[in-house]
Amino acid sequence: MAVTGLAARAPARGDLDPDDLVLEGPHTYRVHTRAYTDPAVFEAEMERIFSRTWVYIGHESEIPHPGDYKTAHIGRQPVIVSRGDGGEIHVLVNRCVHRGSVVCRSPRGTANYFRCPYHGWVYGKDGSLAGIAMREGDSGYSEHFAAPAGLMRVPSVATYRGLIFASFNPEVPSIEQHLGRAAFLIDNKIDQSPVGEIALRSDPYVVTYRGNWKFQAENIVDGYHFTFVHEGFIKLQERYGDSTGDFGVHRGRSMAEVRRIRARGVSWGCSQGHGLSAKPVDQIESLLDGRLGDYYRELLERHGPERLAWIAGSGAMSIFPNLGIIHHQIRVWRPLAPDLTEVTVYPYELRGAPDEINQGWLRSQERFYGPAGHGMPDDVEIFALNQQGLDASAVDWLILERGIDSERRDEVGDYEGLPSGETPQRAFWRRWKRLMAEG
Amino acid sequence: MGAYDPEVAGLTRDEAEAFVYREARLIDDLELEEWLRLFTEDGIYWIPIDDSKPVEWNTSLVYDPPLRREERVYHLLHVPFPAQAPRSRTVHLVSNVEVAAGGDDAFTVRSNQVVYEVRQGDFRQVGLGEVRPIVARVEHVLRRVDGELRIALKKILLIDREMSQSNLTFII
Repeated sequence: MAVTGLAARAPARGDLDPDDLVLEGPHTYRVHTRAYTDPAVFEAEMERIFSRTWVYIGHESEIPHPGDYKTAHIGRQPVIVSRGDGGEIHVLVNRCVHRGSVVCRSPRGTANYFRCPYHGWVYGKDGSLAGIAMREGDSGYSEHFAAPAGLMRVPSVATYRGLIFASFNPEVPSIEQHLGRAAFLIDNKIDQSPVGEIALRSDPYVVTYRGNWKFQAENIVDGYHFTFVHEGFIKLQERYGDSTGDFGVHRGRSMAEVRRIRARGVSWGCSQGHGLSAKPVDQIESLLDGRLGDYYRELLERHGPERLAWIAGSGAMSIFPNLGIIHHQIRVWRPLAPDLTEVTVYPYELRGAPDEINQGWLRSQERFYGPAGHGMPDDVEIFALNQQGLDASAVDWLILERGIDSERRDEVGDYEGLPSGETPQRAFWRRWKRLMAEG
Repeated sequence: MGAYDPEVAGLTRDEAEAFVYREARLIDDLELEEWLRLFTEDGIYWIPIDDSKPVEWNTSLVYDPPLRREERVYHLLHVPFPAQAPRSRTVHLVSNVEVAAGGDDAFTVRSNQVVYEVRQGDFRQVGLGEVRPIVARVEHVLRRVDGELRIALKKILLIDREMSQSNLTFII
């Protein structure tokens, strides 16, 4: 689908003061319409958020061997994520340092070098400039030519359990500091694999919606919307249950039961801006005695009963600013314009798990996600309706106050709240406000 | 595929065209219960992202064995949901129909299809009132069941299948 940025209608009104955009009080949490619509806000986000923090760019299993590469974006900066000869990961800006052409045209592949299509400059897997075509001679480059070292390297690259993050900020805190409590939920997800590894094998779903990127960041951990936006899906569950391949992912066979199940669990809003929600399993015995008992007993042996309850439970994450993990998928959202966002859903496999499980969960995701699924198209429809609704700029504020009186702050500065509260969303906006205020 | 030969194929192009046209009309008229009856008991409705990969290890845009196909139709006809409220109107244009023997009493019918889609309702609102072309090569594997042609497989290869998609929550 060809898409064009429909960017933004209202011009920026004066200087950007985040205090004007996020209103905080003891029982109040409101976000201004302009935070989602103003092109000046969007420009500032690209600089102050996407160029300063860690941004998720891919998974190690996408580039397993030397020479493997994929392309990605850090905000609006296109990058190549390349595996070097020693297995190291290079993150290179996808722009020839000579006259600017895109160097790599494929979304993924294997290459010994990258060659600019314009004048044939050649770069190695690590981005180093390996050759300049027709360098010598009177019409060539001066002997004093200050040749660039190669493609621009993104200064900070880190991995956590196979997830690759990069940042244009050379001073960015460690990835462990950035992830904080989110690492616990990431570990729970990845430890569903008996060998503690996931792999991206399936093609991803890619959907573009006409709304701001922050709607997706908020919604992936929004416990409040499910019984409304997905009311139709719950009706399908009533009628079809597991018979059409849900594979036990969506529990509850009636609206009342779904409400009851979804009222359990916990949510966190992390100081780093992450929103998390999780629900450990109440009775691990039922899993150990169930159809997939062998698989769960293997996990029990490895992790013990307390961890297993978390590992086998449900969990969803919005990792600031662009990464989601939910069910058995990695989700990435990419801001294209104030009112245009691309979402990519990468189903992952659990290495070492029985084929039945990996295939079952893949079919389950196929049923809910993707542009023809029974769930995700409804979410992105709402994101577009949100954006259009905000054209009504006569109304100033959006209200994000659910559960504000019941959340409590812990010793590391994270907030803990109840499942259908807006604790995760407030955490996003607190971090957003801090970064935007740094100017 | 070899040249069309009615003696070998046992299915004339006229008959194949009439079948594919009728299927297209049932979809466009939202006669989806009738559309379900066009399939064999084990028929598959499939919109792959990459049809060269094994289906069990790769997501498809749609991979519907019979019960999932029935669920999709039930969803569309009886359960309101945001992505189809208001719902889509479609018009299928079918061309380049070719017929080949498919072995085991099966016939393969290939066609090119352009499906125009528009969401009804207030055309001033986002996502409504925009006519979108969906362009695909379509392959029907047909069998005769009790003398009637039935779809054993309908495979839709969108020309942009591995790219970003908009709402595809209707039958193509």
